Amino acid sequence: MQLAWSPEDEEFRTDLIAFLDEHTPEQMLVGFDFQDVDDERELVPQWLRDWQATLFDHGWMIPGYPSERGGRNCTPVQTLIYLETLASRRLIRSGHFPGYAIVAPSLLEYGNEEQQKLVPAAIRGDTIWCIGMSEPNAGSDLAGLQTRAEVRDDHFVVNGQKVWTSYAMIAQKCFCYVRTDPTLPKHKGISLLIIDVDTPGIDIRPLRHISGTAGFAEVFFTDVIVPRENLVGGLNGGWAITQGSLAHERAGLWVEGVARFEQTIEGLVTLARQQGRAGDPIIRRKIASAYELAASLRALGYKGFASFAQGSSAPEHSYMKMAMSEASKAAFELGMEISGSLAPVTDPVFAASTNRFVHGFFMSFANTIAGGSSEIQRNIIAQRVLGLPRR
Amino acid sequence: MDFSLTPDQELLRDTSRKLLERECPPALVRAHIDDPSAHEPLWRHLAEYTALGTGPAADLCLFLEETGYAAAPGPFLATTGYAALTGDDTATGTVALVDDSTHPFVLEADRVERIAVVSPGPRLAVLDVTDVPLRFVATVDFSRRLFALDLPHLTAQPLAADVYARWRERAYACMAAEMVGTARRIFDMTLSYAKERKQFDVPIGSFQAIQHKLADMSLALERATAAAHYAAMTIDGDDPERARACHVAKAAAGEAARRILKDGIQIHGGIGYTWEHDLHLYLRRATADEYLFGTTGWHLDRLADLLID
Repeated sequence: MQLAWSPEDEEFRTDLIAFLDEHTPEQMLVGFDFQDVDDERELVPQWLRDWQATLFDHGWMIPGYPSERGGRNCTPVQTLIYLETLASRRLIRSGHFPGYAIVAPSLLEYGNEEQQKLVPAAIRGDTIWCIGMSEPNAGSDLAGLQTRAEVRDDHFVVNGQKVWTSYAMIAQKCFCYVRTDPTLPKHKGISLLIIDVDTPGIDIRPLRHISGTAGFAEVFFTDVIVPRENLVGGLNGGWAITQGSLAHERAGLWVEGVARFEQTIEGLVTLARQQGRAGDPIIRRKIASAYELAASLRALGYKGFASFAQGSSAPEHSYMKMAMSEASKAAFELGMEISGSLAPVTDPVFAASTNRFVHGFFMSFANTIAGGSSEIQRNIIAQRVLGLPRR
Repeated sequence: MDFSLTPDQELLRDTSRKLLERECPPALVRAHIDDPSAHEPLWRHLAEYTALGTGPAADLCLFLEETGYAAAPGPFLATTGYAALTGDDTATGTVALVDDSTHPFVLEADRVERIAVVSPGPRLAVLDVTDVPLRFVATVDFSRRLFALDLPHLTAQPLAADVYARWRERAYACMAAEMVGTARRIFDMTLSYAKERKQFDVPIGSFQAIQHKLADMSLALERATAAAHYAAMTIDGDDPERARACHVAKAAAGEAARRILKDGIQIHGGIGYTWEHDLHLYLRRATADEYLFGTTGWHLDRLADLLID
């Protein structure tokens, strides 16, 4: 147990900082915030696509991967340095995470040689992916999904509906879970298909968040023909891939989550001073309590990362999503409490320094639901980490 | 940066875990309720490890997680704290903090040879325990013994303020490590019970209400454990974050211990609050520990001072 970094790791950090100083787009430096994007066509602006490509071409997109996949074969500890450096500068790698964070690692693990050729474009962002998981009747109970893919000689015929599909309106491809055998128990009849979003029979209808932004969509499939070779993994072998997909999503997300939470707490300190509440003992204790949560979660993330880097499973990661999403919601609430009567005001004339807290509060509702609700996370911790019996 | 244990640290953890499991079973903690000498066979073993007091905080904290897990009676924590403050690791000792509302009583004073007294200034005096009249102070915790001292006139030497501040930070991390250990004991007992105890023909641990309580307890425990390790690392690395990290560790340990002892007894049901069941031995230790070296709220307020002022 030690805090110091090795000389090699410090050199890695120096190289990264030099790259970022030279290449970071100015739009990002002026405080680009996805919360400000109202138009779904602007969800991934061109400059952000260019940035992702630049990262890839210089080996800084996923630095733990080899150069042909946008990396430089760095060590797990260096990946941690990379993620922390980006987070501390409030930089994002991409405007659309499914391709590089879920599709690429899943194809590398389960895809055949032909399908793995899709990986570089997914990581570089040249192909935008969406993930077809949730359905109107399959939310937390994902295995209950009903979108049907009938197996024909050399193709599948897909009928059904997906919902809450992020980026569907700008995606070229969908990583889509479908039911290929309704006679088997529900976990055992699911397959994964790669579906081109421009295939005839697909209808995409954007859904607006309560925050006003349109980040996700409903996707309807009517007699959609999908070639047989687009099956990933074995027929009826999709469930195992869903489990892997979400693990990939969670493994690195905590770094950015903790950093944002810490930045929100710094914002609370500034806000308390501005609003004349910095001497209020109740506000002070609540800010300290939020900081304690953030600092202990960062330590837990590091601890999990150490076992992850040594190749052990890291149950710590299972805790991070649940804790971060609940904690950041509470931090936005505290910002509203400090703001007092200005809390619900969105008019920038009156609330320029306070309105981001109520906005953040509204955005935060999604985080305790999407990607596995907090209740599902508790089930996972209880059953997979603590070994409690399922009912 | 490396959060993993070195091979030596793994050995230390395994050795201390086995030692305490063997030498400090619940029966010893129970015997200690009426017979303070019951700790003596255990102390003959623990006395061999008091040099950890002047070594790396990370090593000491690993050991203290195990003494906390066993609710070990005796002057181990007191002696390591004395050694860290005075540099004297040849005698058994304890530390008295005069005029400090966070720590008005003195740990294990009737079982040690020396008392280091920190008085305002700060100033430091080291006394022979035989020169100080002691009064035993009963608490809910039968595994620790607290004393009030009737201190004579002191001839004290100046103590560098930063040395004392660092010692206090180390004490917070040590206390956090012990508390995390005790909380883990209660958590482990509760988890086993939830898997064994059947109601409505199934283990109660299959009910979602129980599972979600245990998940939240487990999160509190794991983040407090990580915070204690991180605090020890900042001490050993002399990191600028150390003051904050040590307050975080003690506060997180206090929250985890309180949550786990309350929900632990709730999940045990009626058997959990009987005298015969061992749960209360650990529950008492966890309850009282929060009030040693500053409560959770006190540490949060000091953290606020560092963050806001």
